[in-house]
Amino acid sequence: MSPRSLPTVGPTAGSVPEQPQELRLDAVPLQQTVELVRIDLPIEQVEPLLERGLLPGCRMCPVRRSPGGDPIVTVDGNLLALRREMAGCLCVRLADGDFVQDGDPTPGPR
Amino acid sequence: MEGAQRPLVALVGPPNSGKSTLFNRLTGLRQKVANYPGVTVERKVGRARLRDGREIDVVDLPGVNGFSARTLDERITRDVLEGRAEGIRPPDAVVLIVDVTRFEQQLMLCEPVLELGVPTLLVLNMSDELDRRGGRIDEELLADQLGVEVVRAAVRTGRGMGAVDRFLAGAVDRGAFPERPCPAVRNVPHGVQLPMVDVFAQRRQRVRALARDARFAPAGPSPLQERLDSVLLHRVWGPLVFLVVVLVVFQAMFTWATPLMDGVEWLIATSGEWVRGALPPSWFRSLLVDGVWAGVGSVLVFLPQILVLFLFLGVMEDSGYMARAAVIADRLMYRVGLQGRAFLPLLSAYACAVPAILSARTVEDERDRLTTIFVTPFMTCSARLPVYALLIAAFVPERPVVGPLMGTRAATLLGLYGLGVGAAVGTAFLIRRTILRGHAAPFLMELPSYRIPSLASLGLRLLDRSKVFLRRAGRVILGVAVVLWLLTQVPRSGGSPPPIERSALGVAGHVVEPVIRPLGFDWKIGIGLVSSLAAREVIVGTLGTINGVQDADEGSLELQAALRRDLDLGGAVALLVFFAFALQCMSTVAVMRRETNGWRWPALQFSYMLALAYLGAYLANRLI
Repeated sequence: MSPRSLPTVGPTAGSVPEQPQELRLDAVPLQQTVELVRIDLPIEQVEPLLERGLLPGCRMCPVRRSPGGDPIVTVDGNLLALRREMAGCLCVRLADGDFVQDGDPTPGPR
Repeated sequence: MEGAQRPLVALVGPPNSGKSTLFNRLTGLRQKVANYPGVTVERKVGRARLRDGREIDVVDLPGVNGFSARTLDERITRDVLEGRAEGIRPPDAVVLIVDVTRFEQQLMLCEPVLELGVPTLLVLNMSDELDRRGGRIDEELLADQLGVEVVRAAVRTGRGMGAVDRFLAGAVDRGAFPERPCPAVRNVPHGVQLPMVDVFAQRRQRVRALARDARFAPAGPSPLQERLDSVLLHRVWGPLVFLVVVLVVFQAMFTWATPLMDGVEWLIATSGEWVRGALPPSWFRSLLVDGVWAGVGSVLVFLPQILVLFLFLGVMEDSGYMARAAVIADRLMYRVGLQGRAFLPLLSAYACAVPAILSARTVEDERDRLTTIFVTPFMTCSARLPVYALLIAAFVPERPVVGPLMGTRAATLLGLYGLGVGAAVGTAFLIRRTILRGHAAPFLMELPSYRIPSLASLGLRLLDRSKVFLRRAGRVILGVAVVLWLLTQVPRSGGSPPPIERSALGVAGHVVEPVIRPLGFDWKIGIGLVSSLAAREVIVGTLGTINGVQDADEGSLELQAALRRDLDLGGAVALLVFFAFALQCMSTVAVMRRETNGWRWPALQFSYMLALAYLGAYLANRLI
């Protein structure tokens, strides 16, 4: 899949920024695949994330929001619900998309 | 074959990988559930019969995502695999089962298992789903890479079970695994940030490489899951469906389970009378019928309701809906200092706090779990209902409140439910700011694929849960019932037991009278309160005995009239409030002691709830 076909919705719709810019996961529009850069959480809270594959470098994609407004993301075909407070601690950048790795979350059919 | 000589095979896998389904398939009814010594993690061991008739022991380890010592489950799993766990011998072989549709994430567990050097079979479960959703994997290439046997399976339908059987037969042929290489689960970094991330990142890279070499292609999106989630997690429909599900569970517990409960009650009463008729009058007959029989009966009567509850919870869990429900509940729970996973125990607590506290184990974070356990007994359990019903019938005249929809009595009952919820919320809020202060633990909920629950696994779960409930609640209630019976039998005069007000129990009632007088209670209620320590509903029978009402239950008009003589309205409301708050349940206390590993929490909880109950009842009595 070419990077251009990644749908972008929401306020940033229209163009994929040329410079990979960092943003917080809770600010990522639905169906936008991003790459995890950093986890800004105390060390003792990071491990459950790592075990579930939320590692710097992994690609994730918010696919919907829970009724309470919390993000639900796919990570390696795994559907994970997290709180928006935690999503705010996950520093991500838009996936460059010049490679498509096995296990990439495929954007949903919307 | 002697039990000690049978090889032991450990089942390891992440949550929702189908590990328990595999365990059930292998062992069927030949399983035993106990706890690991000193901790609250369940040890499930069973005996599997191979196709050639030989037998092996299988231990089903808790579902884990990793082997750090972060959670108790992980620590136990690691200890068992390394042969260091107390009360269980080192396994001779390991079956690692993963959900292949989430291959890359789940395979992270593979490396630490393989490092153990124990013969291992990797089961790629749910490969039927992988195929259906257009994914693929070459298990032979993967086996070459890993150096262990790999089998594609769909445990639910039985696919791949032949290969599992062959592997287990191989374990028998090899006999006990000779010697354990130095255990090498090395991913437990402490304190330093970089190494931990590095360990995971490197493992992740290797998993990626493995996946590539095994020509792994991930499953495409599941249209069914998409469609269901778009409804069940919808902003409007999601909470609505959630509400309907909760209402159906309630309806099932309180309406559909009632005939079963009545049946059990009748059975116990009838058999008790039969025993009474069959034995000559003696203290032994009285102990058997009034102590043991009544005690066992007061536990058994709740069993149908708990079974119905667990049937529904089992369907929710196995279908994949429970995780969604937890996500929906999480926002609300988070506000009061709990988390989404606490929804399951709190819902269960409307039947009985004992299984509810046990199910709080699913709450991953320790502080969250303790908070959940602490507030659980405030939920209106079924044992409070007979007491509520009796007092409401005696003191609240039926008048319409909301037209024909709801009368004063239903409104009072609803108010009592609300009182419990309010106390739970307030308490959670309070302890999260005092004794359990700290950062909110990260809430991460994996949403598994939707599946149709299998009857066999539901049945086994029900059997398993009812055994645990009867064992935990049964022993305590039986003990307390016998002690209470003894207190009604002494001091004996002329070879026969005293009238209840002059028995040891009656004396206790008189002793507490000055203390409960400000609440509007007399010594009779005092006796009732002391006797209800076994189980709340026991007070109904006790008040019947004191007032000379034969076969008293909550519907007895005679008993209601007697209560109206002993209590004024203020006292009645005070008694209702007291029961809403107080921890009048020794089984709950006992289960709490086990689940928190000591007396500290149950002692604190008992005193806290008693103080709250006393204060609430006092205020109610003064204000009304």
